[in-house]
Amino acid sequence: MINNPVVFYIASFLIIGFALLSVFLKNIIYSLLCAVMVFFSASIFFYILGSEYNAIIQAAIYGLAIPVIIGLSIMFTTGKAKSRKESILPMIIFFACALFIMAFVSLVMLPDSFHVMELVPFNSYDVISEFARGIYIDYVWAFELLSLLLTIVIAGFTLFRIKGGKS
Amino acid sequence: MEITMYHYLFIGLILFLIGVIGSVLVKNVIKLLIAIEIMLTGININFITFAAYCGNDKFDGFVLVLFYTALGAAELAVALYLFYLMFRKKESENIESYTEL
Repeated sequence: MINNPVVFYIASFLIIGFALLSVFLKNIIYSLLCAVMVFFSASIFFYILGSEYNAIIQAAIYGLAIPVIIGLSIMFTTGKAKSRKESILPMIIFFACALFIMAFVSLVMLPDSFHVMELVPFNSYDVISEFARGIYIDYVWAFELLSLLLTIVIAGFTLFRIKGGKS
Repeated sequence: MEITMYHYLFIGLILFLIGVIGSVLVKNVIKLLIAIEIMLTGININFITFAAYCGNDKFDGFVLVLFYTALGAAELAVALYLFYLMFRKKESENIESYTEL
C-alpha cells in the first residue's frame, strides 16, 4: 500500500473532476472520454491501496472493454438522433490543469517524497494465490452464481437476436 | 499529513453522490448508464478501502470487487442492448420517451 498524500490528492482531483465532467458535459463522446478517465483513476486508487490485481482488472474491463461497448452503442444510436454542438473549452481547460499539476508533482515534488522500489511490494505469487483461494474455495458458490448469471445473459442475448431477426 | 481510511471512503462517497445526481438529472440513456457505472466505481473503492485497512487476511473485499466488476459489465451490456432494441422503434435517446418496455 502506498500511503503518500501527493499521489492520493492527485488521484482524487482527477477522479472527482472527470466524474463531474462526465456527468455534466452535454456531448456524449466527451462524456464517455471523461468516464474512461474516471475508471483509470479508480484503478490508480486500487493500486495505491495495495490491490494490483483489481487495478489491472479495472483498467482492462472498465477502462478498455466497456468504453468500446458504449462507443459502439453511441455509433449505432446517436447518428440518427439530433446532433448537439458544444464548446469543449471547459474540458480542455480541465485537461490542461490536470496535466500541468501532474507534471509539476512528478517533476518537482515526487522524486523527494516517493520511492517506488521501497514502497511497492512485489509478492505477486502470494496475491494470486490468495485471489485463487478466495474465488475457488471461500466464495465458490458466489463464483458459480456469477457464472450462471453471465450464461443467462449470453442466452438472453441470443434469444433477443433470434426474436429480433424473425420480427 | 497522513492519509487515513476516511479519506478513501470520502472519495467513494463523493463518486457515489456524483453518480446519483447524474442518474437523476441526465436525460440521455447512455449518460445514465455511465452515471450508474460511476456509482459502482465508488462502491468498489469503498470495498477495496475496507479490505486494505481492516486487517483483511483472506482478500475478501478484493474478491468481491472482482464479482462486482463482472456484474457491472454484464449489466451494462444488457442495458445497452435493451436500449438499442428500443431505440430502433422510437429513434430517441431521451429517457422520457421510454415509458414502457
